[in-house]
Formats: sequence, C-alpha cells, structure tokens
Amino acid sequence: MQGIRYYDLRQVRGYGTRIDIDNGAVEEAGTSFFDDTVIRALGPKGWGVVTMDSFVPDAPTSIENAIAEAAPLTAVTHEDILLAGVPGPVRAVPALREDPAVIHLDEKIDLLHGIERAARVPEVGNTRATYLERKETVRFMDSSGIDISYDVTRCGFSVMAVAVRQGRMQMGRESRHTISGFNLRHQEGMGEKAGRTAVALLDAVPARGKRMNVVLDQELGGVFAHEAVGHASEGDLIKEGNSVLRGKIGETIGNRDLTIIDDPTLPEFGFEPLDAEGMAVHRTEVIQGGKVHAYLHNRETAPVVGNGEPGNARAMAGSIPQVRMSNTFIENGDIAFEELLEVCGTGILLKGSRGGQVDPGRGVFLFNAEYGYLIENGECTTMVRDVSLSGEILSTLHDIELIGNDRLMYEGFCGKGGQSVPVSDGAPHLLLRHAVVGGSGTD
Amino acid sequence: MELIEAILEEGIRRCDEVEVFGTNGTSLSLTLKGGILHSAELSRSWGVGIRTIEKGKIGFSSTSDPGRWRECLKAACESGTAATHQEWKGLPGPVEYPLRAPTHDPSLFPNLDPAQLLADALLEGAGEHPVTITGGSVDLSRGTIILANSRGVRYTAPRTLASISLEAIHGTSTGYEFDASVFMELDARAVGEQAAFLASHCDGGYDISTGDYDLVLSPIAVAQLLGHAVVPALSGRNVHAGRSRLSGELGKQCLDEGLSLYDDPFARGTGATDWDGEGVLARRIPFVNDGVLERFAYDLKTASRYGTESTASAVRSGYGGAPAIGVHNLVVDGERTGVFDDKALFVHDIVGAHTANPLTGDFSVELSNAYWIEGGIPGTPVRKAMYAGNIFEAFRSIGGLGKESRVVGSAILPPVRLNKQRIIGK
Repeated sequence: MQGIRYYDLRQVRGYGTRIDIDNGAVEEAGTSFFDDTVIRALGPKGWGVVTMDSFVPDAPTSIENAIAEAAPLTAVTHEDILLAGVPGPVRAVPALREDPAVIHLDEKIDLLHGIERAARVPEVGNTRATYLERKETVRFMDSSGIDISYDVTRCGFSVMAVAVRQGRMQMGRESRHTISGFNLRHQEGMGEKAGRTAVALLDAVPARGKRMNVVLDQELGGVFAHEAVGHASEGDLIKEGNSVLRGKIGETIGNRDLTIIDDPTLPEFGFEPLDAEGMAVHRTEVIQGGKVHAYLHNRETAPVVGNGEPGNARAMAGSIPQVRMSNTFIENGDIAFEELLEVCGTGILLKGSRGGQVDPGRGVFLFNAEYGYLIENGECTTMVRDVSLSGEILSTLHDIELIGNDRLMYEGFCGKGGQSVPVSDGAPHLLLRHAVVGGSGTD
Repeated sequence: MELIEAILEEGIRRCDEVEVFGTNGTSLSLTLKGGILHSAELSRSWGVGIRTIEKGKIGFSSTSDPGRWRECLKAACESGTAATHQEWKGLPGPVEYPLRAPTHDPSLFPNLDPAQLLADALLEGAGEHPVTITGGSVDLSRGTIILANSRGVRYTAPRTLASISLEAIHGTSTGYEFDASVFMELDARAVGEQAAFLASHCDGGYDISTGDYDLVLSPIAVAQLLGHAVVPALSGRNVHAGRSRLSGELGKQCLDEGLSLYDDPFARGTGATDWDGEGVLARRIPFVNDGVLERFAYDLKTASRYGTESTASAVRSGYGGAPAIGVHNLVVDGERTGVFDDKALFVHDIVGAHTANPLTGDFSVELSNAYWIEGGIPGTPVRKAMYAGNIFEAFRSIGGLGKESRVVGSAILPPVRLNKQRIIGK
C-alpha cells in the first residue's frame, strides 16, 4: 500500500426484476442478479480505482490485492485531494409497508395487467406498462476500519397509452416509484389517467413559441428546481468552474420567498441512508430567501469550495461516486392555485414532465411538459401539446412571481456522467412572468 | 466457454432452446477535472445473459457472478413461464461467415501509456484557445463477446473501443467535443481544439429574433433528433404495436428524396458487427432509399410474431439486457453539397433532445454553440434561442447534406442543412 493515503470499498449486490406488458402480452417478466464492487485508493495526488464483479472483500488479502492493483494507476494522476469529514453514521432505512420480494411474480403481473388494461379507454390503440423492482445490499468499508451495510428496495411502475384518430397519434404516460414498498395495488386510476390524457391530446393544439406568463404544476416545478438550480449547485461543477452559481454565495438570484432544498434523509425515491463515500446524509438549503445559501458536496469538493458539507456523493452500482442531488424541492409559499391562475391572467399552465436538461456552465436550462392549457382571464381553456420552457438560471428565478401552497413530490431518474440514479423532485404551483416557451405552433 | 457449455447443457434439459450471451473485458478510464488528471480507473467485467424458450414462451435472466449461473438459469426459466406465448420459429443455427465487420484493433490495449498520451493531446489541443478546461475523459477498452445457443452457434468476437471527450468554458460559454472509434486512430488534439474553439468562439453571443431561419445542424444535433424520434419509428415492434408514425408508409416517400437511411453493420463505426445480438448474420438494411421507406427493423421475436424475417437488428445493452430491436451503424447518406456555402445558422449541439415526442417527432429544444456561418467561415455566435418543429417534417425537405460524415454514437452522418426552421429568440 505504498503511497496510498486512504482507500474505500463500495460493494452493491442484489437483484432486479422487470415486467413489461405490451398490448396485453407479457413481453418480459424476469429477475437478474448483480454484484459490483468499486475500490478507490487515494495516492499522493489523485485516485486509483479498480472496479470488479463478484468481489469477495472477506477473502484473505483480496482487498490488499485490489489496492496493489489500484496504486500504480495513481502514477498518472496529479490532483491534490483533501478529504473532509469521517464516514458514518448510517440512517435507518424506512420499513417497507409491503416487501415486494415476498410477492409472487404472477401476482405482480396480474396487478400490472390491471393497470395496463385500465389505460385502454376508447380511441387508445396501444398500451404498455412496465414494473421495476430492485433490491440492493450495499456494503461500505474504508481504511479507517469502517464496515457498514444496509439494504434498500426500490420499486415502481409506468404506464403508457397511445391514442390514434385519423392518422394522428398522441401519448399519455403516468408513473410512480417508491422506497416504501410494493405499490402496484389499487393503481388502475393511473392507467386510466394515461389513457384519457392520450385521447385528450388528440384535440390539443401545438403551443406557440414566445415569451408569456407561465404556471408550472408541481411536477414541472420540481424539474425546474432540479434543472435550473440543483445541478448548478453541485460542488464538483462549482470546483471545476462549470457552474454559473460559482462565487454567488449570499447573492440574491431569485424571488425573496424562494427556498430550494435537497434532502436525502426524506423517505422519498432519492433517499439515501448513507452517501456513496460513507458520509452521513443531511438536508441542504441551496437557495434560502432567494439567495444562494449552500452547495451540494462530496468529501473532495467540500474543503475546496466550502459553503456546505459532504453527504451528496452518489453512485450507480459499479461506478465512481459523483456529487448528486437526492430529493430536491421548492418549499411551499402561501398562495392557493386558484389565486395563482387569477394573478396570471393570460398565459399558459404547463403540466407533467417529459424531462429536462441544463448546461450549468452556460446557465441555460430546458424542460418539456407533457401537456398544458392556455390561461385566459385566469381560467384554463384550450389544451396544448409539445411545449417546453427554457431560461437562464440567473434571471429566470427572478421571474418567479408567486409560489403556491400545494407542494407534491414526483419520482424519476437523473443522469450525469453516464450514471443514472433515483431522485425525486417537487414544488408547489409556481407563476413565472414572461418566460420563454417553445413550441412549433404559429399564428 | 466451459461455463457457457455447462449452462447450455443444463438449460436444454429444462427448455426447448437456450441461448447464452457473454461479455468479458477490461477497460481503463482517465478522468480530467479542471484540466488535471483526477483519477485512473481499471475496470474488469464479466457477465452472462441467459435466454430460454419453452413452447413459444421466452425467458431471460442475467448475472455477473459465475458462481450463480444455476440460479440465473432457473430465473430465466421462471421468467419464461410467466411470459405470454407467441409464435416462435426458433433460434438460428450456426453458419460460416466472412469476417467483414471492423470490431477490434489488435493494437488497442487498456494501458496507462496510450491513455495518457491521448489525455495530453486533448489538453494540448485545448491550449490553442483562451479557455478554462472543466473536464474530460479517455477510455480504452478491450474484450470479447460470445453468443452461443443450443442449436450449435458458438460465435465469438473481439471488441475494442477508444473514446475521448473534453469540456471547456470561456466566460459563460461552454464547449464540449468527443470522439470514439474501434481503432486507435482518434485525433485527440483536434477534439481538444474543437471543444476549446466552441467555448471561445461562442462567448459574448448576440440575441436573435423569433422567426424562420436557414440552419445547418451538425452531425451531433442530427443524431440526437433522429435517435429520439426516427429510429424508434423504424422498429418493427413499434410499427406493429401502433406506436410508429411510419406505420403504413412502406413504399411511400417519407423523407426528402435526397436522403437515404440505412444500417450498415460492416461500416467503420462503433456498432460494427458480423452477427446481431441473437446470432443472426448481420446485413445492410436499407430503411429509407432516396426518401422512400423500404424496410423496418426486426429481431427474431418480432419477426416470428408478425410472420416476417429477422433483419438481424437485435442489439444488446451489455450482458444484462435481453435482445431488443436497434441499429448497429445507422448511416445517413445522399448526394453531398456545400451546405456551408450560403449563409446559415450553424447548430453544433442541442439541449433537451430527449424531451422530443418519440411518437410524433415534435420537438422544442435549446440551441447550444450556435453561430452564423457563410462560405465555411464561422461568424457571430447566437447567445440563446430555442428551435421547435417536427423532425419528420423537417427531413421531408432538406437543403442538402454536408460533405464530411462523422461517427456519433451508433450513427454515421454528415451535417444537414434545413431551410426555414422556426427559431424562438428574443
């Protein structure tokens, strides 16, 4: 272990079950197994990392051998790295209301069938439902002698419907994922909602791209917090100079009632009992009263960048930890949705998320709604489709005029650096003045 | 191979047919953070995906643990029991095939020295412009894929891949460039220089008014739009399920007559292969010829179900993924012209392509590294604007294909000129 100042090991073992029902046919219903280990060894300057399948940490000299393989890799790395904090403790994983592992595959298929069937409302020509279940047993060890293990089970489903009329085709989609246990029971309503959205979109008009007043629903508001603020507050991007929020601590960048939080301790889909570097997880107020208050950090970025604590390192099984969000949301304000519409007057209500993306260095983000409604005289009127919203981080947060009082959280997966991790985002309804809305509709 | 034989032997006792897809390999990755080499990662992987077929019911499971193969085989059989019965014409038997696909470079090894040379060249290239480097990567990998089945197929193919990327920033203007190849032939200096050029050149951009403009989309932008809307529409499964806009369009003009779209598994791209993910011999698939839709893509499962032949379009996302319909090297081709001769807004990249409507092709995305270009000379950058339209409509009437193609993911394609496109600006 010559020259190695520290090492850690993260092993993720478990199984994943996937069921795919397409137009009533069970296309796939199976379970696969994984066992991935990442061993990081910190040399004089930089990390040497070895990644392996089916590693046995308790076998004699296995860790020593892996580190002996990782150590020479640090010959080419040159970064001065300081690690803040010490690992642990681990939080208790919330108990599962119903453990999906003990439910027979046939019952899961039957329940998913029910959700998929419910999506087949008149004019729907295709339905598809997918169930995902994944149990991970995570073991974290490091050179200080820490050895922590925990289990976490995530599961959920998505249902999609395609409606067709006279050559026109539109899609509705709903999904729910959780860490709280099996969630396929009594969800037929989600299937029906996906079907009805698809049919309704057949009559929707394309949105007309221009600046206008926008009301975001709770799901899109969450994506807004995630894309516009969350990524740009990640300590690795700050450290590398790839975020417009660098050097902005204490600066007002948005509405003074705006507070944005990342909290991996919440029992939501982005929950982590311990971060991927073994650090305790905690709540971070990224934006407090419209001012940049703190960044999200791992052990490396915290001492270099400051303004925050480690605890946001996350990693896909078999991958190197990165600074990531967990459960990210905009805190409630005190305005009722109806009042928000009334103040909006004329504009557009955007609902549901088809995803988003941000260039944090440039400070530009974009996200796409599943559908929306024109707002005229404070009331929702014509349905619109294929509408997106883009903005600049440092100006758009000022455009938030009113913050609703009805926050909800939604689950999803967030990609960064080739890794996808489970997250949740949420917000109350929000009113934005003069936001840039994109759509292909014309006058 | 001994383990795979054991799986096949045990599997055939339980089911009509068994197939094993195995991967093993080693990769070396260097990560640059802020222009400094931050970490070096050596990764070794091994895994098998087992597919079982019993009376038209198909099961699948995978594992990365050689010691758990019996459990994996059992899970595959159970998975098949739960699946819906379908028409099934059987796995392919073994055939002799010529080695045509460029899948590996005998001189490419996941070693520190060549990786470091590539990293140095990336940084050297970026030094041509006044930028700050924010990140980058070098990956070298070498491995083998194995496809074996109970009909006697025992195919193996060596695989190598080199990939590089660099990110830079100047003010609040970012630049990102990348390249990948089966061969150790990457021009890392040029990639670094281009990333830095984009960041440097696009700083201090100007606003643009909302309106219709002539665009030239880079191969990167084209690949993103095609990948999210057009490629799914070519899948036979989506066509028969009623999820493809191209359903019912066979034999009809669906794209510009100057545009052809085909899968060439023997081209020098990163998806090159002699056989697909189910052991069917790969072949060139002419999806769209001079704008006319000619073929859809099928794997064995979808072909059996709908009474047609597989087009050898099964692809695997590693050992852990069941075979699914995809493309190997999607080539966009046609007559080449000087797309940069007349003035146009060049769009190097787009933000949010994955939010395009995969059914209809409607999209509205943000431009990234967009600047005016005329006579091939880069001009004034545009600060911020959105681009909205429909990918199928946009490609019904193109303004021309550029002369140089490049590899972007599993596509090989040139820049494309599209006239009168809707831009939402100030």
